[in-house]
Amino acid sequence: MRESRLIDAERVDFIAVPVQDRERAARFYGETLGLRRNPNSTETWVEFETGNVTLALVDPPAAGQPFVPLPFGSIVIRVPDVDVARARLEEAGVEVVGETWDSGVCNGAVFRDSEGNGLAVHRRYAPYNDGTLP
Amino acid sequence: MIEVERVDYVRVPVTDMAEANQFYGEVLGLRRNPNSPADDWVEYEAGNVTLAVMTPHTHDDDFVPLPPATIALRVPDVVAARTQLESVGLEVAEMWDSGRCRGVGVTDHAGNRILLHHRYAPYSDGTLP
Repeated sequence: MRESRLIDAERVDFIAVPVQDRERAARFYGETLGLRRNPNSTETWVEFETGNVTLALVDPPAAGQPFVPLPFGSIVIRVPDVDVARARLEEAGVEVVGETWDSGVCNGAVFRDSEGNGLAVHRRYAPYNDGTLP
Repeated sequence: MIEVERVDYVRVPVTDMAEANQFYGEVLGLRRNPNSPADDWVEYEAGNVTLAVMTPHTHDDDFVPLPPATIALRVPDVVAARTQLESVGLEVAEMWDSGRCRGVGVTDHAGNRILLHHRYAPYSDGTLP
């Protein structure tokens, strides 16, 4: 049977970020990345807003699941300038992994959050084939 | 502190692009971004954020699935979505209801479990997401 447009997906409500220490992670997302904490967060469900999508800190062991970090480069954050962001992350003691990459259309640097999740800072500087920029 | 503008994309690792295109494009019904750069890196638009569906093994990396329920996709009706998925033989997890929202997990061919989610109760300030 053809599985065609079965689900009416509207948007992404949140990206779950697994944490081992909620307080430490909240400091990282709130202070190191400077994200706004959603005032509707609760003690056990903390959300940070990135501009277009919510990051929700989740505690897998509290739900009986093992902690498994997000793989390499899973959440890719747009910044005005990758070099500046990289320098600030390094100053803050964040583990930035490897060299800054440049694909010819974008550049970026991968790093790990306080919990070991794979994130990246990224900037696309070249327009798409249709002339638009993201 | 860095200056965060938005999330450009969430990287979704898969093992087979044909299966993944069928799942993300047809089962989940997401729009394929025509500016996707390559056959092994296809971007799908989920309304507010891009899902970059890609094969790590063609990008000098090992495949590791996302932890379960990393991506919570909003659907109008979780029960209806579950019924639709089951009707085509897809394996869906048990539905849960937290008292504020409900969700059900569906797993893509590579083993990433996507959460289909809907919050029905307002926040304490009376707003709904």
